[in-house]
Amino acid sequence: MNSPLMIGFLALTVLTCGSAFLMLWTKNVLHAALAMFMTMLGLAGFYVLAFADVMAVSHLMIYVGGVLILILFGIMMTGQRISKTGQTNELFTEQKGRFWAFFIGLTVFFGLSWLLGQQHFYAFSDMDQQSKLGRVGLSFMLEYSFPFELTGVFLLIALVGATYIAKNHE
Amino acid sequence: MNEIPLIFFLWVGAFLFATGLSIILIKRNVIFVLMGVELMLNAANLNLIAFSRGDDQNQGLMMGLFVLVIGVCEMSIALAIILQVYRRFKKIDIDQFQSRN
Repeated sequence: MNSPLMIGFLALTVLTCGSAFLMLWTKNVLHAALAMFMTMLGLAGFYVLAFADVMAVSHLMIYVGGVLILILFGIMMTGQRISKTGQTNELFTEQKGRFWAFFIGLTVFFGLSWLLGQQHFYAFSDMDQQSKLGRVGLSFMLEYSFPFELTGVFLLIALVGATYIAKNHE
Repeated sequence: MNEIPLIFFLWVGAFLFATGLSIILIKRNVIFVLMGVELMLNAANLNLIAFSRGDDQNQGLMMGLFVLVIGVCEMSIALAIILQVYRRFKKIDIDQFQSRN
């Protein structure tokens, strides 16, 4: 229980869950984007602890490098006009129905925890702690080659469609 | 070798999922709601990776990688749509949309 792996896991849990809760708590969109950055860092750490190094690296590149910049651009391009009172601007979002949302969130959390605690999971094989990069590359080329190509075409279509949608149609 | 029990990963995933759900329910900014959706997606992904730990065929890991790509597609298209909504209505609150009845 006191292994370095466990201590790292606890530290990552504090980081991830703390910043996820900060995302829920704050009203400032920029603060939430920063908290999401910390959450994504913590999730990449979890992937490392689950012996999935490929996933951790791609998660870091895609989420911290790509999606977060996209969100920051979205925040920048939508709003921030200072209102007449001078106090608030569009960065601060309204919140509604706090009690019910907290209640539903707590119910989902405890319900899921209870449900997962009822099950008995077992591993198919021993957990190997080698790097999985080579095997993932081989799987992409062998048994997952069709989904791989399909995902590539899907990504291309989605990006072309996104640029077309974001165009100024006037 | 002392490994981390699987249930710990599942607890963290459940917490992230519940937090994302609460964000979606509480916030009134569309970008905020989108961030909640991303949080829920990543919570589900963490479960896939955690289960893939004891699988020598790496099925959960491959599924997680595909989910990552689909999540990025969803994010980019959603932000493009939000941009168009902002251009047309000059606001991105959820409550501004009302059905005509």
